[in-house]
Amino acid sequence: MIQPQTLLNVADNSGARELMCIRIIGAGNYRYAHIGDVIVAVIKEAVPNMPLERSEVIRAVIVRTCKELKRDNGIIIRYDDNAAVVIDQEGNPKGTRVFGAIARELRQLNFTKIVSLAPEVL
Amino acid sequence: MRLEKCWFCSSTIYPGHGIQFVRNDAKIFRFCRSKCHKNFKMKRNPRKVKWTKAYRLLHGKDMTKDSTFELERKRNRPERYDRNVTEKTLQAIKKIDKIRVAREARHHAMRFKGKKAMEHRAAITELEKSIDLVKAPAPLLQAPQEDTAKLKVKVSQPEAEFMEE
Repeated sequence: MIQPQTLLNVADNSGARELMCIRIIGAGNYRYAHIGDVIVAVIKEAVPNMPLERSEVIRAVIVRTCKELKRDNGIIIRYDDNAAVVIDQEGNPKGTRVFGAIARELRQLNFTKIVSLAPEVL
Repeated sequence: MRLEKCWFCSSTIYPGHGIQFVRNDAKIFRFCRSKCHKNFKMKRNPRKVKWTKAYRLLHGKDMTKDSTFELERKRNRPERYDRNVTEKTLQAIKKIDKIRVAREARHHAMRFKGKKAMEHRAAITELEKSIDLVKAPAPLLQAPQEDTAKLKVKVSQPEAEFMEE
């Protein structure tokens, strides 16, 4: 359940450390973003000497949520944190590595690059 | 569909039941119901919680070593379907289950065996020690009852002082 003002961890090596959601893309009237949704976010904390800097506005895709994710086969999955991967306008990740487990739902949403970079897909 | 075991209580998780928690190092914790999930969130150790399988096995409450357990195994490679093998397996499951239940019952009977005799002995000693509560002790019954007659005792009470306002 990601909404504007939510802080997210960054699950890649793009250079951002912490993001704050400011808008959910394509949500319309809907309030929350879930796994696989694209958000507009501000970089709240960044790694020094990297292309991405603090207070930069970027797009990111949510890869993990603390809120349970329900699958059609009845499985309910909950992750440890809220995390996102920084992407560009085309949906390609800005970093070259992805950390932590990632939900399988991203593959259907055409984030195959992120899924292939992930060490674990659940 | 695979039947998983609950991380907390080790019971079987059937499809559509329970919840999975994925830690950031991608370790999966599966829970059969919210009770187990909540206990996990409270950071309880299943070895110290009495109703879990882990506790019962650790404290010798249940059978731990048995040949019937070795037949239940998890395979990561899918078996190619064979009608005969499946049929035989389904028959064997029933038979093995019967044997396992019988052996477990025997294990429990063995475990309770000493306890019953001990309880019996404790009951006898308690009866001997505190028989007085049920039956009056012998000297009381034999002695003639003298002090039953009422004695007149002089009692004086100082007059109460009344406070006047």
